[in-house]
Amino acid sequence: MSDQRIFTRYRASEIGVDLQNSESKKLKNNVLGRKTALRKIIANLTLGNVNEMSYLLPEILKYWQIEDDYEVKRICHEYIRKLGPSKPKNVQEALPYILNDLKSKNQKLQILSLKTLVVVPSPEFFNEAFEFVSQTLNRLSTVKDELTKEAIYCISVLDEADHDRVLPLIDTLMDIIENESKEPSFIVAALNVVCIISERNTNMSNMTVRVDIAIDILEMLPTLNEWEKAFVMECFTGKVVPQTHMESTNIIQLVIPQLQHGNTSVALNTLRFIFYLLNYVEFTTEELSIKLSSSIIALLNKPPELEFLILRNIILLLLSRENSILNLDVSYFFVEYNDPIYIKDTKLECLYLLANEVTLPLILEELEQYATDIHIQMSRKAIRAIGNLAVKLNKESADKCVECLLDLLEFGVDYVIQETISVFRNILRKYPDRYRNNIDILVNCIDYIQESEAKNAMIWILTNYSDSMHNCLEIFKVFSSNIKDETLEVQFSILNSSIKFLMRYGTKESESICMEVLKCCTEEIDNPDLRSRAYMYWRLLTLLQTKDNHMTNETVLDIIDGDLPVIELNTKLDPLILQELELNIGSIASIYLKPVSQIFRLNRPKLLISSPVLNPDHDSLKIIKSNSTYDEFGNESKNLDNQRMDRRSHEMVSTNSTMNAIMEDYDKPAETINQLKGNMKSSSTRQSRLSRKPSQLLRRLTKKNHSNELIIHFLSGNGCLMFFHI
Amino acid sequence: MINGVLIYSSRGDLIVCDLLKSSLKRTISDIFKIQVINSLEMKSPILTLGSTTFHHIRSSSESKLWIVAITRSNANSGVIWEFLYKLDSMLTAYDLNNEEKLMEKFMVYYEMIDVMLTSNAMPINTELSSIASKISYRLPKTISNSPTNEKNNNNGLSIPKFLTRNSRSMSQEFSNITQSDIPWRPTGIKYKKNEVFLYVNEKINILVSKDQTILKAYVDGSIDLVSHLSGTPICQFGLNDYLSMTGNNISNRGDEFRHDFMDDEDLSTGRSSSSSVKIEDCTFHQCVSLDKFNDERLINFVPPDGSFELMRYHVRDDLNIPFKVTPRVSISSSRCSMRYKIILKSLFPTSLSAADAMLKIPLPPGTVDCKINASSGKCNFSTSDNCAIWKFNKYKGLTENELILETVPSSSTDILSLQQWTRPPMSMNFEIIMFSNSGLVVKYLKVMERVQKYRPVKWIKYVSKSGSYEIRY
Repeated sequence: MSDQRIFTRYRASEIGVDLQNSESKKLKNNVLGRKTALRKIIANLTLGNVNEMSYLLPEILKYWQIEDDYEVKRICHEYIRKLGPSKPKNVQEALPYILNDLKSKNQKLQILSLKTLVVVPSPEFFNEAFEFVSQTLNRLSTVKDELTKEAIYCISVLDEADHDRVLPLIDTLMDIIENESKEPSFIVAALNVVCIISERNTNMSNMTVRVDIAIDILEMLPTLNEWEKAFVMECFTGKVVPQTHMESTNIIQLVIPQLQHGNTSVALNTLRFIFYLLNYVEFTTEELSIKLSSSIIALLNKPPELEFLILRNIILLLLSRENSILNLDVSYFFVEYNDPIYIKDTKLECLYLLANEVTLPLILEELEQYATDIHIQMSRKAIRAIGNLAVKLNKESADKCVECLLDLLEFGVDYVIQETISVFRNILRKYPDRYRNNIDILVNCIDYIQESEAKNAMIWILTNYSDSMHNCLEIFKVFSSNIKDETLEVQFSILNSSIKFLMRYGTKESESICMEVLKCCTEEIDNPDLRSRAYMYWRLLTLLQTKDNHMTNETVLDIIDGDLPVIELNTKLDPLILQELELNIGSIASIYLKPVSQIFRLNRPKLLISSPVLNPDHDSLKIIKSNSTYDEFGNESKNLDNQRMDRRSHEMVSTNSTMNAIMEDYDKPAETINQLKGNMKSSSTRQSRLSRKPSQLLRRLTKKNHSNELIIHFLSGNGCLMFFHI
Repeated sequence: MINGVLIYSSRGDLIVCDLLKSSLKRTISDIFKIQVINSLEMKSPILTLGSTTFHHIRSSSESKLWIVAITRSNANSGVIWEFLYKLDSMLTAYDLNNEEKLMEKFMVYYEMIDVMLTSNAMPINTELSSIASKISYRLPKTISNSPTNEKNNNNGLSIPKFLTRNSRSMSQEFSNITQSDIPWRPTGIKYKKNEVFLYVNEKINILVSKDQTILKAYVDGSIDLVSHLSGTPICQFGLNDYLSMTGNNISNRGDEFRHDFMDDEDLSTGRSSSSSVKIEDCTFHQCVSLDKFNDERLINFVPPDGSFELMRYHVRDDLNIPFKVTPRVSISSSRCSMRYKIILKSLFPTSLSAADAMLKIPLPPGTVDCKINASSGKCNFSTSDNCAIWKFNKYKGLTENELILETVPSSSTDILSLQQWTRPPMSMNFEIIMFSNSGLVVKYLKVMERVQKYRPVKWIKYVSKSGSYEIRY
């Protein structure tokens, strides 16, 4: 019986037979057989064999009555929990049994029953559960006991079923929260439930926690377990509204130690709480910013999924504050060879955001490395990042980026070249004249170009720098003669460029190219947008030839070949969205970096509640050195800020130099130097092992024994632990 | 918050389908299977479809189970992933971390999850010793006590001895759950022999650029403890941390323990006792009093029973870098081959040696064989990953070795492909016992039990391993 597989679909009758067999004799292995049969029921429910298994309710109820074994009891409850949600009518009969367990003296069993009760969505079950929970709340003990705690958590489940009936209980919960003499874990449970209910029901008024109560609860933190700490931090974000600068800093001081908690969620929720509170201070200290930065770095040393979450949130924090509170060393974001691709990607974004004039050389070197990475996607992103940095940063930095890109062109791999050409267009738009000398190099790569984006970029470059090339029309012909086979975007570019050439030069050659393109676009290509644009140009040209209007060459040139606006990279998100995201640090929305309402429509949006000290603007937050006083700050804030920046950049430089210095420092002379002996041998010659002389074999064996001995010796020293007397 | 937990085998067979909320349909498990397990492109550990989000991890064991959490709102991803990892380590502790065992004993999971989550599916308790005291299944005995033997050494969990129970009948058990004031430590623990095992596990990560400068170097370390202590002991723990050493309170911090662990291993860890380490970022297990650390930099705690990770730290400055690799790589255009000349030098004291030192040297594509001359150790060409592996069973300290390697290209290899080859970095693996890359030294561990006043036996072991040790060339 027990050798039958548990995870197979069975018919109800088959399991019924199993159960009957197990009853025939009261033997030990029959008990085992019965349990196996019962487990098969649960496994079948997992497999989705629900209808069939629902016939077995009478059997389950029978064992419910007679069995004292805890595992059998658990299976019975699990059966109800699995069946109940889809067939609440069917499990009605089990209600008396569950209630019987709920009344037992065994607290473990009571908790089990309570949890089963709230799972089944039927009014009878709800009534019983509601009754029990209200009773428990009324005679709330001050002793720590699991059942009461569980009963409080149940309220949030009951609320989902029937909000109106649960509403009166919320006052009782508020009492618990505000009464500090109560057991800490009850307070946390109540706080958690009230938060969840108020967030789910948007018609309720927004819940807030008074600052003095919040401080009382925070003072209990050491007595709470890790998850309770995490709840408290989560609940308080957005719910505790400090009224003065002092209040906020007091609370920050209380929670700072939690940044060092080993549990990621505690540390991350604390981080979120502190960032929230920073909206309610007049200034912050350098000490705090060091603590925040180092806690973020510590959080990076986690399993990849959590590391990913932290990295996404770093992006968020870097985006949200112009004058970042964080001071993170770029080397933490260097990609490692074994990183999963999603981490590599995110690190790349962090590097891009962290780049400034000081860190650029270091970052550029890394990006160049990634650009030649085996992973094509990664390589492309790295090149794109280099190009974007050239646009984002100042002129000198752009020089470095361009130099780097030109190096990559020499690398000679087609996707690298295509990507490089694509990003070069943006650089040329920002600095039209600065890199004129390099145009030839770009144009020489024309043979590698196949993708439409790169083609687009190349056509644009050709057109804009046609005056510095003697054969640009010839090169352009390569594209224009193929116009039918190109993608739509490229066709548009070809059309635009051919008109520009005609207007600029008006030569025979340009005219013939233009006419060919216009003809092709209007007669042979089906796309209506392209066709109408071609017609538009055509009419423009005909207008020019008719004498009696005011259209001059200059006006037409202005229309089709006007100056482009200066390109700007906009990495900023809407400040309101950022504000909301900052209140959601660590949540799913923070990974996608999208406003919560876009992903989860039913959630109540989190907002900063106004208070006399609420900072209207993120970026105006000042960071002062910890020893400076408030008065000093008032007068010299600007100055201090600059000093801070100087100091930071100074630090950056100094860390770089120490980094380089390490190499000389750490090297030590070797005591033993093994010299090379003999000649190079091929690694795949295996026959040598077979033809080895017996004497050599013997030597090998003794060597092996020797090393075994060593290991044994090591182990006998108690697992190579060292022992110290005290 | 967590609306459901799914566990699949690595092939995608559903083993546990625990829908904690009645609104979820069972078919949701098929959606995950199709969208993530059977999808080749899906690389992200999170997937949101409509308003339903799946967070998943792969279990640390070899069977690579898929452990998935389903949520319906803007849940806290930090809580969820942390919980999934805790669940994984709990499954490991109960030896359920492979398909067959879990299929057989999935009821243990249901019992476990009942203690770990509240009725509104918030994680509430993930401390092994506390859970073990609340559920009826016995912990398996076979798990080693040593956290270093764990695959996933951040979750080194093991069996507290007192928990071995024989009877499962509930009339005998659980009639009264005794709650102590400390959430992670049940009362009434008793050991005949009181012992503490301390493991300082370090991983050094280093990235060396082509011109031999160090781009980044840092040590991620953890201090793991296995405590077999009776009663409710209070422990205090001291490191040669820069800030605590230079703080004012150094003098009154009790010279009595100063000599606890010192003297001997100063030599072995290659650091004099006067020097100190600048620990930048550290995080602690929930048992450590964080306020105390923040104010006085003292590490005070009441340990949970059994094994746990006491703290993690991160050190960047003044590292003891154990190996130096000097590669010189040239392309021979006449033979279309690559020639490597590599000097490997150990920089730790001669009294120590590294176990399983291995240098992995990537070779260009199209290599069919290579000619090798190594001064010591074994170097083999591995066709499967297209690289050469230079191995030493034991590498003594302050020793230099040299390797010359020339690739034999296939006939179709041309010089351009050699020049365009991306050259992935060389990487090193090793393990050094009783050596600390960061120079961190445990100065003392004081255990105080108010009632029983025993003197526990203390053991300590330092293990330095390679993390990502990469050298570009």
